[in-house]
Amino acid sequence: MMFMSSRFAILFVAALAASYGQDRPLDNSVKINLPPDSPVTLISANLGESHASQRGSAIVLDLDVALTLRNASPNRIRGVTVLVAAQEVTPGGKASVSVPSLDVAPNQNFPVHINLRLLRPMQMGNGPLVQVSLDGVLFQDFSFYGPNRLDSRRSMTAWEMEAQRDRKYFKSILAAHGVDGLKQAMLECLSREAQRPRFDVQVSRGPSVSSAASAEHNVRFAFLHFPGAPVEPVAGWAEIAGNEARNPRIDVRNLTDRQVRYVEVGWILTDRQGDQFVAASVPASGPQFNLKAGSTSRVLQDTALHISKAGGPVSITGVKGFIGQVEFADGTVWIPGHDSLAGAQLLGILQPSPEEQRLMDLYRKKGPKALAEELNKF
Amino acid sequence: MTHPSETDLALYAGQDLGWLGRRECRRAVQEFAAVSESLADFNELPAISWNRLANEMKANIHLGLSAGECVRREAPVGTLARAFSARALTAYAGAMAVLVASLYLQRPMPPAAPAAANGSTILRATANGIELDQGGHALSLLHEVSDSVTYSAGAQGSMRAGYVDADGHVTINDVYVQ
Repeated sequence: MMFMSSRFAILFVAALAASYGQDRPLDNSVKINLPPDSPVTLISANLGESHASQRGSAIVLDLDVALTLRNASPNRIRGVTVLVAAQEVTPGGKASVSVPSLDVAPNQNFPVHINLRLLRPMQMGNGPLVQVSLDGVLFQDFSFYGPNRLDSRRSMTAWEMEAQRDRKYFKSILAAHGVDGLKQAMLECLSREAQRPRFDVQVSRGPSVSSAASAEHNVRFAFLHFPGAPVEPVAGWAEIAGNEARNPRIDVRNLTDRQVRYVEVGWILTDRQGDQFVAASVPASGPQFNLKAGSTSRVLQDTALHISKAGGPVSITGVKGFIGQVEFADGTVWIPGHDSLAGAQLLGILQPSPEEQRLMDLYRKKGPKALAEELNKF
Repeated sequence: MTHPSETDLALYAGQDLGWLGRRECRRAVQEFAAVSESLADFNELPAISWNRLANEMKANIHLGLSAGECVRREAPVGTLARAFSARALTAYAGAMAVLVASLYLQRPMPPAAPAAANGSTILRATANGIELDQGGHALSLLHEVSDSVTYSAGAQGSMRAGYVDADGHVTINDVYVQ
């Protein structure tokens, strides 16, 4: 009897140890935090196949969460951003999920899918493994609610302006050329998207990790200028070594009489074959960036990009830049117009806006008539 | 006349006896019928066929001599001359042309910098999703969830993925180096 019980004890301990090293569901380990005065309320949170697994001294959290939120405000919602955090200090511990291009009426439900992976040290406390909190809600009138820790107000405002710009463009085609013209425009968008060069990009902060075999040299930016842009690029350089581009330094001038608090420069690289691609956006903001009316300031990032294609390094031969976004001190945002992008031949290089992605998806799934009906809603 | 010894008879049968001994043995064989009969026994010893062994040994020696001749022919004095013959130079030129053409077409680059060579943290966007690389240990943070997902890097240390989900909603995920 004694022998039997000790054998069961050993088996129990072994099973416990084995189950500890394997996947565990995240039943009560995800906490959804919405403030009491939040304009959205939580209807349901389905954790799906979310699970945690141990990897070395860290916990890997695979999140497959489907939230259903309700618009509890009197305004139509255009975008929502949530912060998803397992811990905020070390890399891989936090992420954000944004849903732009929404049109949610008051008291209407809408989904937010969280489908990503986070890391968390093993030795953290006993609280929930993952915290989901609201970072911001953007309304139809561009008013905003939320702590804005991730600068989601500017991002969602820019996405909504891009959405209005792109809808206006397609509606003008619909008005001028009917559904057939809209179909033709969509086919052109899909063709551009299929032909857009695709490169693998890796970004790292801090000192270079380039191989010593590549000779490093400073390359001067060539800038694209848009008519009516409130900020213009004056001069800029980046260090190029083989397939690495790093430390962009760009001087920009404020052409308006308003204070600017954020500027984003699109960074285009060219390879030996002449293919151009937007490698990264170079943002400038914060206390060190002071762009008063009529003044000049420097956009710089201590960062390195490595470009590859099909597993092999890509030799960088040229750099271009353009002003992609400007935010004024009062929170209003400027983005380049459709004509400016077409005039600079950037439509085939830039990624489609979230709204253009949504409209292309609608066209693919439901055809030009459904797309025309969708455009006419706005 | 005395009988030849068995040893001499055996050597005579294998034709290995010297000229004088062979002459004496031949005469003895002719004179003594009994000796002639025993000669047949010696010539066809059940275990050892001396004639066959001898033929094989000769054949092996000829083979060795032929092989040695071949080796001597492979390292002739005129090797250098043949290495720079017209045919060889033509072949070298062809190989060089192929090499130069491949270098021109491929433009080989130095190998890509090793990820996180100095222990830094790297975010990488590939066709399969977004990866975090820390000290050479890679972890996928975001799998590709759609065929039409777009990735964009932020120079402040972030990576963004945008896609349209099955319900037609655009979802944008941002992950951060720090």
